[in-house]
Amino acid sequence: MLKSMLALGKMQFYQYNIYKSNFYLFTLNRIVEIVVYIFVWQAIYTQTGNAGGYTIAQMITYYILVFTLSSLSCWGVNEDMAHSIRNGNINKELLNPLSYFQYYFGVNIGEMGFALVTGIATFIICSLVWGITVPVSFINFLLFITIILLGIPITFFFTMITGTFGFYSSSIWGMQILRKSIISIFSGIIAPITLFPKWFQNIANILPFKELIYTPINIWLGQITVNEIIFVILKQVIWIGILYLVAKLFFNHAIKKVTINGG
Amino acid sequence: MSIIEVKDLVKTYKIIQKEDGLKGYIKNLIKPKYNEITAVKGINFNINEGELVGYIGENGAGKSTTIKMLTGLLSPTSGKVIVNGIVPNEKRIENNKNIGAVFGQKTQLWWDLPVIESFRLIKKMYKIPENEYRKNLKKFTEILDLEDLLEKQVKNLSLGQKMRCEIAATFLHNPKIVYLDEPTIGLDVFVKENIRKFIKDINKEKKTTVILTTHDLKDIEDVCDRIILLDKGKIIYDGEKQKFKDTYGKYVIAEFIINSKNRTISNLDNATILEENEKSLKVKFMHNETTIVKLMNEISNYCIIEDIHIKEAELEDILKEIYKGAHKC
Repeated sequence: MLKSMLALGKMQFYQYNIYKSNFYLFTLNRIVEIVVYIFVWQAIYTQTGNAGGYTIAQMITYYILVFTLSSLSCWGVNEDMAHSIRNGNINKELLNPLSYFQYYFGVNIGEMGFALVTGIATFIICSLVWGITVPVSFINFLLFITIILLGIPITFFFTMITGTFGFYSSSIWGMQILRKSIISIFSGIIAPITLFPKWFQNIANILPFKELIYTPINIWLGQITVNEIIFVILKQVIWIGILYLVAKLFFNHAIKKVTINGG
Repeated sequence: MSIIEVKDLVKTYKIIQKEDGLKGYIKNLIKPKYNEITAVKGINFNINEGELVGYIGENGAGKSTTIKMLTGLLSPTSGKVIVNGIVPNEKRIENNKNIGAVFGQKTQLWWDLPVIESFRLIKKMYKIPENEYRKNLKKFTEILDLEDLLEKQVKNLSLGQKMRCEIAATFLHNPKIVYLDEPTIGLDVFVKENIRKFIKDINKEKKTTVILTTHDLKDIEDVCDRIILLDKGKIIYDGEKQKFKDTYGKYVIAEFIINSKNRTISNLDNATILEENEKSLKVKFMHNETTIVKLMNEISNYCIIEDIHIKEAELEDILKEIYKGAHKC
């Protein structure tokens, strides 16, 4: 099963790689965004000298890491799902010797692989241009990786939930925008969560999206203690369970609709 | 021992009845009205291992609905389907390991990648042993002439090339049962022949059970031993191809374009008049009872014949004939 999923991931990765221009454009796009954010923050820092307890060097590192990681949390298999529901290819997917979730998790692996490659390219270029604060310790770096890996099933199941709306509505474009906005606001892509009002921070603390971007970067920067990290991992595991259950129940309901009344 | 058992199978779809206007839309939201359409009305059949079955009928006869129930993609409203000892819609994944399916022009091949990559993925997903995979690939490449196609991207293939690859992909994991839902639609004669030969070869070698739906009677003629005819959700014929062919071969329909008719043609020897008007006359006859020359002689007593079109009986005509015949037996 794991082998099949990795093979699927490889296929999706190749599929992206066919269009070499994709890679360059995505990376270029990232870098342009980072430049804009850095200019804005440089302007703010010359006025105030401090924001959210980060030095300007830390803030630049924050945004470089944001755009290294953002594809991992924003991309997903929604479009592939919606496309195959609409053109009837879903029938073929349901006849695979893998479950629908396993099939798409495999595809998702390839998607994440490509996101990682563009992310790393962005990271290398940007850290050469602006310089980067290194992780405070090797342990912190390992924890940074761990939290990011635990984020992958979280984004996957969240994607499966929004993707399943495709069974009820022929267009999930709105759903996709909503998914991406929720993630980019609550994960800290737009700005570090500590800069937002208290009530917003409370919501972000409950939702699982903060752990996709904000938390791992702060582990890198040494802003979070080891005790807190144990709590973070526990929270992630609980959320993986919750999202899995919701996704599975929702999908089973949706697929019944298909298998009772036809595609 | 039957590999497929279908008993009293019924499928009813509920379709929301749409009403016009905003009022109707709101009414629908609150209390939707449903129309029930029964696509399959209590059918029974058993298929043994290694059989080549043609499952035919007109559009909307319920063929695809049946195939979807056999593959587990649809759940039956009532009745029983057992495929290889499994109820497909309850244990879909387990059933999937034993079957292969082609649905018209839907493809399981990866659009942007070379064909061989899709084959490798299938090998991984179905856990096909290396030597088995090589053996199959070699054989399939030979019969379906895939040599030059394997390294090409799927998007660059023609319809016929794509279908040949698709068929190969479907048989790669040695499925026990293969459902082919209109695999030859839109293909040229050579590709069709190629695919037919492939199906027959594999069936002979591996005893693969094949269920084929098609509108091309030549497919059935070439490939199938047995025919199941479906009309408006009911089976109206289930039996050997030979019997079907006898009836099929006998009938001919001739259309005469005529001129200056002096009186109504009410009766012709050994032929049935299907349609008659001032300009044309449609006649059905059997080869062993009369000939076109005899008919022309007879008709020329009534009018001048300007042109003749002769065509073999269409599926619908044969279908009706078999229906009558089945009743006589």
